[in-house]
Amino acid sequence: MATHYGRVTLFATTAIAAGLFATQLAAQDNPIDAVTPVTDEMLLNPPDGDWLMWRRTYNGWGYSPLDQINKDNVKDLKLAWAWGMSPGGRTQETPLVHDGVMYIQNSSHLIQALDAASGDLIWEYQYTLPDEVDPNGERSKAIYDDKLIIATRDAHLIALDTKTGQLVWDKQVANYKHGFAFSSGPLVANGVIVQGMTSCSNAQPGGCFFTGHDVNTGEELWRVHTIARGDTPEGNSWNGVPLESRHGGSAWITGSYDPEQNLVFAGVGQVYPWNVEIAGLTPPSADPNVTNEALYTNSTLAIDPTTGELKWYHQYLPTDSLDLDYVYERMLIDLPFEGETRKQVVTTGKIGIIESLDRNTGEWLWAKETVPQNVVLSIDEETGAKEINPEVIPVIGQTTFNCPADPGGRAWQATAYSPRTEALYLPTVEFCSNTTVNPLDPGQIYTGGGLQTYSRVPLPDGDGNIGQVRAVKLTDQSDMWMYRQYPPITSSTLPTGGGVVFAGSLDRKFMAFDDETGEMLWSSGKLDNALESFPITYEADGKQYVAIVASWASGLGRLASLTPDVKLPPDNPHTLYVFALPD
Amino acid sequence: MPITSASARLAGLLLSLAVPLAVLLQAPAAAQPQPEFFDVPYAPGQWNIGRRFDESQLRYCIDKRDPDWEMAGDIADTIAAGLLLEPQRYVVESEMVLEDITKLYGVMLKHCDIHMGFKLIPEGYPAWVILSRPYYETEYVFVTADPEVTSLADLAPGHPIAATVGTMAHIRLVAYQSALPADRRWPTYPMGSNERALATLLDGTADVALVWAPSLWAMQREDPAYADLHVIDPRPLPAITLGVGAIFLSNESFLRAAVDEAIAALVADGTIEAILEKYAFPATARP
Repeated sequence: MATHYGRVTLFATTAIAAGLFATQLAAQDNPIDAVTPVTDEMLLNPPDGDWLMWRRTYNGWGYSPLDQINKDNVKDLKLAWAWGMSPGGRTQETPLVHDGVMYIQNSSHLIQALDAASGDLIWEYQYTLPDEVDPNGERSKAIYDDKLIIATRDAHLIALDTKTGQLVWDKQVANYKHGFAFSSGPLVANGVIVQGMTSCSNAQPGGCFFTGHDVNTGEELWRVHTIARGDTPEGNSWNGVPLESRHGGSAWITGSYDPEQNLVFAGVGQVYPWNVEIAGLTPPSADPNVTNEALYTNSTLAIDPTTGELKWYHQYLPTDSLDLDYVYERMLIDLPFEGETRKQVVTTGKIGIIESLDRNTGEWLWAKETVPQNVVLSIDEETGAKEINPEVIPVIGQTTFNCPADPGGRAWQATAYSPRTEALYLPTVEFCSNTTVNPLDPGQIYTGGGLQTYSRVPLPDGDGNIGQVRAVKLTDQSDMWMYRQYPPITSSTLPTGGGVVFAGSLDRKFMAFDDETGEMLWSSGKLDNALESFPITYEADGKQYVAIVASWASGLGRLASLTPDVKLPPDNPHTLYVFALPD
Repeated sequence: MPITSASARLAGLLLSLAVPLAVLLQAPAAAQPQPEFFDVPYAPGQWNIGRRFDESQLRYCIDKRDPDWEMAGDIADTIAAGLLLEPQRYVVESEMVLEDITKLYGVMLKHCDIHMGFKLIPEGYPAWVILSRPYYETEYVFVTADPEVTSLADLAPGHPIAATVGTMAHIRLVAYQSALPADRRWPTYPMGSNERALATLLDGTADVALVWAPSLWAMQREDPAYADLHVIDPRPLPAITLGVGAIFLSNESFLRAAVDEAIAALVADGTIEAILEKYAFPATARP
């Protein structure tokens, strides 16, 4: 059901389509009237005041050039408005803003358009999830032409009219009853919707996939499976187990897009279940034609969005046994390497190791460690191949000790890159785990988990500061600065043209740092919940705003067991906060 | 609901429990404080679920996706009768292939005090769940379609086994194989469900399947194609037996004590064994 709210004039129309009821209220002086179609050119070069996709730009930087809020005045930042979102479930929201209108997705799948300057509701659309599917939010969404494109928890893609909230099309991509779901939203690249599937667990063998869709109809154009198949070196990389026994490879984070090559770069998660003995990947097969690295898990895939052709891949962590995904944001940055500028794709896995590839060829270039870890003993400087510490690989009947634990030294909270400083800003945590293999089939249906339990413990000999914001100069991979605190940093980082980096933490604070020194320049008062989401900044009516959603959303909030004195509200409220300078 | 003669004997024993039990059943269920990540249950609208009104009922859930759901309903009815409570059955009708256990939180908040059909796996449950004592014990079984194979020892190395992934028996098989030289192993294929593991015997993907015995029982009742499958001796591995009981939300410890006493009495007097025999179910009820 779509409902449209206005300020002055009221009229109502109703539309019945596929069970939908729409009420529309027209408005005067409503920013929705000035909303323009989002063109390919806009997506290639977004207006400074807009936030049109998950990481704002195709290169995945998560950087805004806005500078009205800067190092000198950020201390004066005040709450401009707030908006209560649907309770229940979890949300890891990234609001989008275009032409002064903000679009948000509540965990209940209530999609709303707000006046980005005032916080007033313009329209809303309720997508109805099946009773069997719990309400949870998506990390991102997309805008293209006059459509807001939303992924849902029951594995549908839908398109809404950006001006009215009316449903344009609804396409089921997979059967949620088999576990399929979307947890992140799409990217529109060269006019094609590119979407990754997640939750491909025991309920559905064969793994996940990326799909390409027609923006006007949602029709599926192509599908790239994240678990290799067939009698190829990649297809034979699963230790001889048949396709019906291969699980995992979730594509749960939105990718980036290189328009020069017409390539989308996106990550793939790990094997499921996590324990490689249980997954059938060890002991290695004696068959000389079979390997066990389990492609394409923990890889970057380079996919042509027009044809769905997989151009190349690079696997960072073969035969992963610790749930240490290399699935997160891919940043497209041109950086010096061995005396020449190389077009690179940079990502950081859960182990906290920043790694770079040549994005034209897939050649591995360099790595940089950040958080303390005991998983990787060494990295081959030519190929990036890792020597894994055998003592951390979980073994049936033993408890092993690994750092970081499964949420990762960095989790889904995205890192961000600022061209001002040429630095990568990482929200990181330091902690470890005692890991034990467990049977997890208590009920016939209620099975689950990765067949390992992680008892999370502090880093031995740590200073007690679990959370950090790290700045790493990518031109030479040197450490610029590090901010440390006891509560985990739980939001993505947001660097801006004003020279500040925003980040939020488990203890309900939103903070701003000097992008060159790490000095904390501002902190909000305590908000109503942990800040586990993706902050954005935008402009409306000539004024810069900074927005973040407060929620306890499972990522680094999982470390709440290490910080029991950081209390959060029991009913997990979700609230959108928007800050600005006083007029 | 009629009370059996065995349950009538039990009734005297448990009558004294009935009044305080009825009082306790009025309390709404609650989660543990400060739970950890996936242990955090959530039920849509949970803040609007109020206290129940009818304390004379034993509300129980059974799930049609469980192979023993009909029989579990009979057992639950008998337990209720023993407690002098009116059984209130709720049949979970979901078509989801698999669920996370946190989903049970909402089901139990809304519909039932006990949910039948859970394996007594040590450390296998989050803190917001407690289990009853088992009302039956059964086992994981090795199954084949090959009439020449009567024990696992008969299976030649290199012949694949399809195992329901992540069960205690699967883990035991993997651990055993890891101690063998490579040329003595059976390739082990993890399958997402008992049904998928059994299907590999029909399509030739595997020579032996390692599955939960009740699932084999259900498949053979439902589909003639599975009729010729037979259970083999697990040796050289030991039999893996597990108890099956009911779960409660963790604040229902008094109800659990009462149900445990009822199960013990119903096992002791042969009532549950009779129900197992009625269904020709591959399990035993042990005191």
